[in-house]
Amino acid sequence: MTVMKRLLFGTVMLALSASGAAAEEVLLTLTGAVTGGQVELTQTDLDALEWHEIATSTTVTDGQPVFRGVLMRDILDRAQARGDTVTARALNDYVIDIPMDDFHEFDVIAALYMDGIALTPRDKGPVWIVYPRDDHSVLADIRYDMRWVWQLSALHVQ
Amino acid sequence: MNRLGAHWRYAGLGALIVVCLGLLVVAAANIIRIERQMQISATQNMTWIFGQTQIEALSLSSALSSDASSSEVLLRYDLLVSRLNLLRDGPQWRFLSEAGLADGLMGWRDGLLRLDPAYGGDPAALKAHVTALSTALRQKASQVMSREWQVQSERLDRLRKLHLLALVAIMGALISGAALAVLLVDRERRLMRARVDRLRAERLQRDLNRERAASEGYRRFADLIAHQVRTPLAVIDSAMHRLTRSGKPPTPEVIRAKADVSRQAVARLIRLTDTALLMARVDRGAVAPELACHDLDRIAATAIEDLQAGRRVTLRSGNRPVTAICDPVLTSEILANLLGNALLYSPPDSEIDVRPLFSGDMAMCDVCDQGSGMTPEELACAFDNFARGARHRDLPGSGLGLPLARHLARLQGGDLTLKPREGGGLIARLSLPGKVVT
Repeated sequence: MTVMKRLLFGTVMLALSASGAAAEEVLLTLTGAVTGGQVELTQTDLDALEWHEIATSTTVTDGQPVFRGVLMRDILDRAQARGDTVTARALNDYVIDIPMDDFHEFDVIAALYMDGIALTPRDKGPVWIVYPRDDHSVLADIRYDMRWVWQLSALHVQ
Repeated sequence: MNRLGAHWRYAGLGALIVVCLGLLVVAAANIIRIERQMQISATQNMTWIFGQTQIEALSLSSALSSDASSSEVLLRYDLLVSRLNLLRDGPQWRFLSEAGLADGLMGWRDGLLRLDPAYGGDPAALKAHVTALSTALRQKASQVMSREWQVQSERLDRLRKLHLLALVAIMGALISGAALAVLLVDRERRLMRARVDRLRAERLQRDLNRERAASEGYRRFADLIAHQVRTPLAVIDSAMHRLTRSGKPPTPEVIRAKADVSRQAVARLIRLTDTALLMARVDRGAVAPELACHDLDRIAATAIEDLQAGRRVTLRSGNRPVTAICDPVLTSEILANLLGNALLYSPPDSEIDVRPLFSGDMAMCDVCDQGSGMTPEELACAFDNFARGARHRDLPGSGLGLPLARHLARLQGGDLTLKPREGGGLIARLSLPGKVVT
C-alpha cells in the first residue's frame, strides 16, 4: 500500500464516521415486496417515525438494558411491505427469515440506542432487532433469540 | 380396638398422607426446575460466537491483503471489533473466564483499537496484528468447543439428576399412596363388617323378640285352654254326673235345667272356637271384606237384637242416618264382640249405649258401658292376642275378641279404639269410612 493510498484511506474513514454525514447515510435497505421494489432508510427517515423504548434482558448482555428505536412494523408499513416473511441480513451476512406475524404480535423494535448510547457497527449497531423478551415468556426461546439480528443492514420482504 | 391403638393408627395414616404429599411436592418442584432448565440459550452457542470472531479476523486479514476498498476494510474492522466486544460482554466473558481462555483476549482488542484504520492506523501493523490474533483464536477455538460441550454435559447431568430425583419421589409417593389405599380399604372392610355384625345382631334381637312373643302367645293359649275350655267342660261334666248319679232318677225339671246349663257351656265353647277360627283366617289373610254402603244404625240394631240382652242396651241414633262403607257381616261381628264385652264387664243393672255418629268423613259407632273401665296398663295391651285383664281371669273370654275386632275394622279401612268414659266405664269406638247421604 502506498503512502498516498494510506492517506486517502484514512481520510475516507474519517469522513464516514463523522456524525454530520451519518444523518444521510443509508442505515436500512428494504427490498422485495415494498414500494418500488427497494426502499432505503436513513437516520432522518427513522427519526420521523414514532420512537419506542423496551427494557429487556438479552442473551448476550447482563441486566436489563433499555433499548430505544422504532417499531419494526412501522418501518415495514412505511415501506408498504406486503408479505409473510422478512429475510433479515446483517453486516456480516448473517441471514435469517422472520415471520411477518412476529412484528404484529409483539412490539419488536429496530433499536438504535442501548442505555442511551447509540449502537455502532463496532458494537451491535447500527440497528439491532430487539424483542420484548421479558414481557412474553414465549420469547425466551432460542427460536426467537436467533431473530435478534445485530448489525442489521437489509430486509427482504416476500 | 383400644384407644391407644386407634391413636397410633391415626398417627400412621397422617404420616403416610404427609409422606405421600411431601414426595409429590418434591417431584413437582423437580419437574418445574427441569422445565425451567430445558431451554437452549444463545449464550451457550459459544463455539459459534468464537468461530464468528475467527472468521471476522480472517476476513479483515484478507481485505487488508487484497486491494479491497477502504470502506470494505473499515467494515471488516468494525465487525471484528464488534465480535471482540461481544466476547467482552457479561455472559460470554464469564464463560471464557471460567474456561481460563479470557487471558490476553482484551490485550488483542486494545492492540487492535490502537491500529484503528479510521484514525490512520498503520495497515501493515494492523495486518500483522490481525494475523497473529487469528492464530491465537484458532488455538483457543477447540478449547472453547470442549468447554462448551463440558458445560452442556454438566447441564444434562444436572437435569438427569433432577429427573431421577423426581422419579424416585414419584415412586415413593406411589408406594406410600398404595399403602394408604390398602389401609383405607382395610378400614372400610372393617367398618363394613362391623355394620353387617350390627345388622345381624339387630335381626337376632328381633327374631328373639318374636320368638318370645310367640312363646308368650302359647303360654296365654295354654292359659285360655285351662280357664276357658276347662270351665264349660267341667260344667257339662258336672251336669252329666248329676243326671247319671245312682239313686233317685232326676226329675224332668232337673234334666231341663242341666241340659240348659250344658247347652250354654257348649255355646261358649263354640263361640270360643269360632273366634279362634276367624282370628286364624284373618291372620293368614283369608278374610276378604265385601265393602258396600250400609246403614250403620241398622247393623247396630240387628246386633243388639241378636244379643237378646233385653233392655240393658239402648241404640241412640242421631237425627240423620249414618252410612258406612263396610262389610255388614264383619261389622256385626265387631259390634257383637264389643257389646258382649260391655255386657260382661259392667254391672248387670247398668245401661249400655250404642251411638252411631259422623265425625268428619268417618262413620263411627260408640259402645259405652258403665263398668269398671280399664287401667292405662290394661288399655296399653288390650289389643294383644290372649291378653286378659288380671281382674277378669275367671270371666269367660278368649282374649282374642278385641284383637280380632280391631283386625276386622282395619280390614275394612277403619279402626277400633278404646278410651275411658267420663264418670266411669269404657267407650269402644268403631270407625269406618263413611258416606254422607245427601
